[in-house]
Amino acid sequence: MNFADIMALALRNLRQAKLRTALTVIGVVVGVAAIITMVSFGIGLQRNIIGQAFARLDAFTAITVVGADANDLLVLNEGRTAMDEGGADDKPVGEATPEPSPNQEETSRQLRRARRMLNDETIAEIQQLDGVRFVAPIVTFTGYTRFNDRTRFQLVAGAMPGNEPRFKTFLAGTGFSSETGDEAVVNENFLSAFTAEAFRQRRNNRGGSGGGPFQAAPNKTDAERQREAQAVIGKEIILLSPPTGQAPGAGDSIFGIPLLNFPSQTPQREATDPDESRFERRVFRIVGVLKNDGGINFNPFGNADFYLPMGQAKQLRLANLSPMERMGGALVGQSDEAYRAIELRVADPSRIKPVTEKMEQMGFRAFSVTTQLEEIERIFLIINSSLALLGGIALLVASFGISNTMIMSIRERTREIGIMKAIGGSDGEIMRIFFVEASLIGLFGGALGVAVGWGIDRIANVLANQWIARQTGQAIRYVEFFSIPWYLWTGAILFAVVISLLAAIYPARSAAKVDPIKALRYE
Amino acid sequence: MPILEARQVVREYPMKAETVRALSDVSVSIERGQFAAILGTSGSGKSTLLNLFGGLDRPTGGEILFDGKSLAPLSAWEMSRYRLHSVGMIFQSFNLIPTMTARENVSLALAFAGLGKTERRRRSLELLDRVGLSQRAEHLPSELSGGEQQRVSIARAIANQPQILLADEPTGNLDSNRAAEVIGLLDEMRQRDGKTIVLVTHDHELASRYATQIVRLKDGKVVEVGG
Repeated sequence: MNFADIMALALRNLRQAKLRTALTVIGVVVGVAAIITMVSFGIGLQRNIIGQAFARLDAFTAITVVGADANDLLVLNEGRTAMDEGGADDKPVGEATPEPSPNQEETSRQLRRARRMLNDETIAEIQQLDGVRFVAPIVTFTGYTRFNDRTRFQLVAGAMPGNEPRFKTFLAGTGFSSETGDEAVVNENFLSAFTAEAFRQRRNNRGGSGGGPFQAAPNKTDAERQREAQAVIGKEIILLSPPTGQAPGAGDSIFGIPLLNFPSQTPQREATDPDESRFERRVFRIVGVLKNDGGINFNPFGNADFYLPMGQAKQLRLANLSPMERMGGALVGQSDEAYRAIELRVADPSRIKPVTEKMEQMGFRAFSVTTQLEEIERIFLIINSSLALLGGIALLVASFGISNTMIMSIRERTREIGIMKAIGGSDGEIMRIFFVEASLIGLFGGALGVAVGWGIDRIANVLANQWIARQTGQAIRYVEFFSIPWYLWTGAILFAVVISLLAAIYPARSAAKVDPIKALRYE
Repeated sequence: MPILEARQVVREYPMKAETVRALSDVSVSIERGQFAAILGTSGSGKSTLLNLFGGLDRPTGGEILFDGKSLAPLSAWEMSRYRLHSVGMIFQSFNLIPTMTARENVSLALAFAGLGKTERRRRSLELLDRVGLSQRAEHLPSELSGGEQQRVSIARAIANQPQILLADEPTGNLDSNRAAEVIGLLDEMRQRDGKTIVLVTHDHELASRYATQIVRLKDGKVVEVGG
């Protein structure tokens, strides 16, 4: 009997028990839809994060270098604290810390923390390294920012004059002319955050973060955006900062450890009226407006909406250090001039690996898209497998349904099986009919499950975007949270078919073993 | 050389308490082109012998020979090919698949032999015509009379041109007129196509009218072989 005939017989059998077949198929649909929905979310998340990395034009030349901070130095590291290591941080530049043996290096890879501080000296040292094109510290602080007659508590970052790789596309204006000018570069987020509408929406959505990783959707034409950007060039931004050199609590210290002097009230983003008398007013003029790329932004470092020239930012950061930072730094003998992290660019992508390794040898932690991609992929392999496992359990439950259906069907058709054997059907042919029947259930259920999973994804995606828009109080660019690549849906269908075939092993074998004489005995 | 032969065949069924011996030391040989009738009361072992001839069952002792060759060494698959090509079986309760039309039932036997769809359709209609049912080809068994159903099963039995037709009480569910028609049809197959017929029945009159060889079984033993 050829395959087409077996297929026809199997289809006929399924049609004869429509309700039972439908219910069994639904079991498979639920399992497959669960797999599709969950794994597509995992893959979607992965795509968004990796896509974010790729979206950066300079992604493959960028390294973020992280230096030691109070937490790292206080935590036991490879059995010792950094302070036990004889003050590696105090060593003069060029005297490299001893390299760990390769074996040790491998085992401690996950645990390794930065052992060295990043400051202007180390930056100068790194600048000299082979293959390094650009180095700048990541300098950020938060401060009361006044623009458009409105005040927000705003993240501010420092940027280098000239060719600053973090400035990708200017809608209007240019970058900084010097490290110390009273200039400011902002992006579209900044402008929209200071509109009357944004303030009203945020007030109505108390608890709304007003930004987060979701960037505003450019729902205007490019020409409009450019016009708006051009209009703010030259406008003033006022930064209220504690007087430089006289940071709060700077005077109160015991043996150089500043006393904690928490402000009576933690600053609110919407704190409308800070007591201006306690602050120094600094005025900056907008020289450039950056284009917003939209999408999700997960980079924890230096993705500010508001940039000042590096020299200004360094100075203001020191004035704005929180008492906690100040104390932590003092505890480990870290000077205020130390940076948490620096941005580094290599000359070309092939330099990523050697420079990353060099940074680690020097006692820093280095992250690049390359290393991040590897880690992200490893993490997502685990996440996606766990999600698939959950869906797989649903499918496993469905497989019992398939077994049950097949066994029932064989009970009912014992006589028919006996007839087939009596007229010359072989055990193998009988078995194949039932295997094909089961795999058809798997195939229908799988295909339908993919469709249902896709449908759930679409609905969930719309709802999620609406929810985010409500939470953030601003229109965001439509984010695609789910991704169903071809290997996911083919894999899910294939898995459903395989599970169905496994579920059919016992029933099909018992069908093949039907004794025709018993089956054909008079009723 | 006999086309079918049973040599000292024993068939025992192990039951819980005892072993039931359905056939003990049965030796029968049937020549090509004969109309053999196996007579006996119910429980005499006549159906058991027919199932052994039909390759649906294997003897506990002795052997069955088809065309001089023992069936004993055949694998399960080879046995299924024997059932497909060498013998055709006809049952008292017709054993048609109730959800298939007359044509589809005949076609199923051809499908097992690997015939293509168009060829099957042509052949099955031809076979139904042969048994006088060309007008009823697209009817389900439930829409056919007993006699018609049995004729469909004869068409199915001869579908793959076996040399032997094995009929187990084929007239048991039919009235005497239909019974005569069915047996007449089998006899016609023997005379025209040279088929060997083995008929299991308890109807002496029917047997003596058509049979060229009569085997009488009682309590699993051959009590009389005659012509």
